[in-house]
Amino acid sequence: MSVAAATETGQDPIILRVEKLTKHYGSTAALRDVSLGIRRGTIHGLLGENGAGKTTLVGIISGQRTPTSGSIYLDGQPIVNVDVKAMEKAGVFLVTQEPMIIDHITAAENLMLGIWPSSGGFVNWRKLKADAARMLQDTGIDPQSLAGKLDAVARRKLNILRAMFSGGKVIILDEPTAALTVEDRAQLFTFMKELKAQGVTFIFISHYNDEILEICDACSVLRDGALAGGTEDVGNLTSEQLSELVLGRGLVLFQRERRTYNEQRPAVRIRDVRGDGINVSALDLRPGEIVGFTGLPGAGAKELARMIFGLMPVRSGTIALGDSPVQPLPAAPRDAFDMGIAFLSDDRRRDGLVAQMTIGENISLSSLSAVARSGFLKPEAEKVLSDRYFKAMGIKASGPATVVDTLSGGNQQKVCLGRVLATGPRLLMLDEPTRGIDIGVKQDVLRIIDELSLTGVCVIIVSTDTDEIVRAVDRVCIFEAGAIREELSGDEITSERLRQGAKVTAGA
Amino acid sequence: MSQTSATAAKPAAAPNSQDHGPSILGWILHNVVWIWLIALVVLFGMFNEYFFTTFNLQNIMVQATVLGMIGLAVALPLLVAEIDLSLPANLGFSSAIGAMAYSDLGLPWFLAMLIGVGVATLIGLFNGICITKLKMVSLIQTLSMMIILQGALLALTQGRTITNLPQGYVWIGQATIGGWPIMPVIFVVALIGMAILLKNTVLGRSIYAVGGNAVASNSAGIRVDRIKIITYTLAGALAGVAGFLLASWQMAITSNQGSSYLLYAIAAPIIGGVSVFGGRGNVVGVLGGVLLLTVIQVGLAIIAVPSFYVGIIGGVMIFIAVAIDAIRVRYFG
Repeated sequence: MSVAAATETGQDPIILRVEKLTKHYGSTAALRDVSLGIRRGTIHGLLGENGAGKTTLVGIISGQRTPTSGSIYLDGQPIVNVDVKAMEKAGVFLVTQEPMIIDHITAAENLMLGIWPSSGGFVNWRKLKADAARMLQDTGIDPQSLAGKLDAVARRKLNILRAMFSGGKVIILDEPTAALTVEDRAQLFTFMKELKAQGVTFIFISHYNDEILEICDACSVLRDGALAGGTEDVGNLTSEQLSELVLGRGLVLFQRERRTYNEQRPAVRIRDVRGDGINVSALDLRPGEIVGFTGLPGAGAKELARMIFGLMPVRSGTIALGDSPVQPLPAAPRDAFDMGIAFLSDDRRRDGLVAQMTIGENISLSSLSAVARSGFLKPEAEKVLSDRYFKAMGIKASGPATVVDTLSGGNQQKVCLGRVLATGPRLLMLDEPTRGIDIGVKQDVLRIIDELSLTGVCVIIVSTDTDEIVRAVDRVCIFEAGAIREELSGDEITSERLRQGAKVTAGA
Repeated sequence: MSQTSATAAKPAAAPNSQDHGPSILGWILHNVVWIWLIALVVLFGMFNEYFFTTFNLQNIMVQATVLGMIGLAVALPLLVAEIDLSLPANLGFSSAIGAMAYSDLGLPWFLAMLIGVGVATLIGLFNGICITKLKMVSLIQTLSMMIILQGALLALTQGRTITNLPQGYVWIGQATIGGWPIMPVIFVVALIGMAILLKNTVLGRSIYAVGGNAVASNSAGIRVDRIKIITYTLAGALAGVAGFLLASWQMAITSNQGSSYLLYAIAAPIIGGVSVFGGRGNVVGVLGGVLLLTVIQVGLAIIAVPSFYVGIIGGVMIFIAVAIDAIRVRYFG
């Protein structure tokens, strides 16, 4: 529905307006006097650094958090007693990063979850199936397939459709493109545009400027809990201007001179890795070399890294680090750390942090024996270690005694990075090191990795982010069907080549 | 769009009381076990002044010793987000093995006692191996182990009570210095030992990490299975010592020795703030939980509540403690 049409029917062109929203947590303000309006039938981008207040704002709009003061209007009507029920009834839905999907029931049942057509307590299966089939008609999702078997983009779509089916007029998408490949993302954007044409309004949270510029009609930028700026027409904006709004200063993009290493003897030699669906004969890294692993999900980039770290079992495989003799791949992460191999998972909440422990305790977690004597921790030694990496990573918190749970995503990632660096690795592997963190912290992380490589540490970055690969690595291995299909180095590494590579793989 | 409607609009929400929560209330809720303990002591003292006598204080200390040892044992698997229901049954079974090593094999009492504790430790080790290497669910595995051990104790004793315990064996449970029993000293030593273990050692830190997030701990290079097996083994050893102390104090081992401790042994650490989801809790909390339960038991006996009502009143008091703790977690994390 166009704005003009809305005006003709006498509807307010602004579907959702917030006035002077403020939210205090204790004495700190997470949100200060934020006022903005969302136009009907548009996709409205919401940007900001980790901790800028995006999550708080959409939490309030969707009724999950209560504001300290301020008001919300939907269709010009003030909403009193904001809670999830009231907001969903009014048509405002939040689709979170974690798809709320039950794996062992069908797509159709998930779509109707909680709103199953029923009479007298019995589910009307025929109506459920008919409704679901109608909703899923043009989406390529089979209503009868188990939700657990759907791919990432289908799961996102299912969540959006569920919000629509429940009467959603304003749908908030919290970083919907995280963990999606380039193709999936394009598919999701097409889907959003179709829904927009049907009159749905979206609030779209993203860390990526190019995504905002590609799909959004308007956008608002939050910084330190306040509205830093925004536009009704993103066509007027450039990526640089967006970054400046987000950061409050000009963005200094991390730049790195790509290095070539023909002469030097390899510092890491990996041979004959065979495991579940993986078959890699040889991979060498020169001292200080940064190698990117990329490929479609399941192609083997992530799996190979996990196998080298001992997180996935292998049938065979050896590794030689520096002048050390050839050894079998480590059987467990502890063995890997002891050999000088470190790995950071892409899922930091599940697989990277102990959330209720402090920053300091998390930093020393992989190096406990280094700060202990005969099993007893040496508090001074531990403090020296955690202080050092707390400072080196530039973690924004009052101190290493802060509990990790309270940190923003970017700072949590820095804690994880500090933990693996504290082990003093000779080979560092990072799986999607900048996913879900804002553009400012992303530069910090890439800079830290680069500085580390200058000391001779070999680095492997597993990434589906082409921009990151192009800017950060010396050489890139493109994976397909569990093997390295192609290697690019030097000037061969361009976004175009990488995208092309991914397409070839997809078509194969 | 002009803001004509703004004046008519009411604030969208009332201020959230949680945000300005008075810190006094937080402090009270954090220390609820101790406050509730003091309140009950005063209450029981008002009903019957005998409650405040030295003799009764000694009685509470002795009673708290066995519950305290088994409570510490139960806390260990809880800290790694597992559970061991077989510990009270292990307590009874292992003490009977120790007693029979003396009476049937003719071993010196000290050696026989060590065999009892050793058997308890091995049972703990076995539980740990089943749960980690065989990936058995700890709740069910230890439940079945509990039934096995209770049955084995009954079979061993043939339903009779073992009373022919040697002088040396029962000494620790009976000895006094200046009228004060010395058995509680063992509990204090265990308490301090476990506090040091949890706070100052690599093992202790690893226990909290595994309980907080086992997947992340594994990726961080902690040998998760090994840590879990060690906690189960330590818990078994503590149960063995508790079994020795109980037999020594009562000078008898019944055919269902230890079974009555099951619910109290699990309740004590949880009341004291040890999370059933793992990774949270400390020794001071366990002590609080143990003392609270002991005071309720002893107090109800002293103020002569008819035995028909002891169960329900004791249960309600525990319920209140747990409910207040749940409210604390809900609002203050």
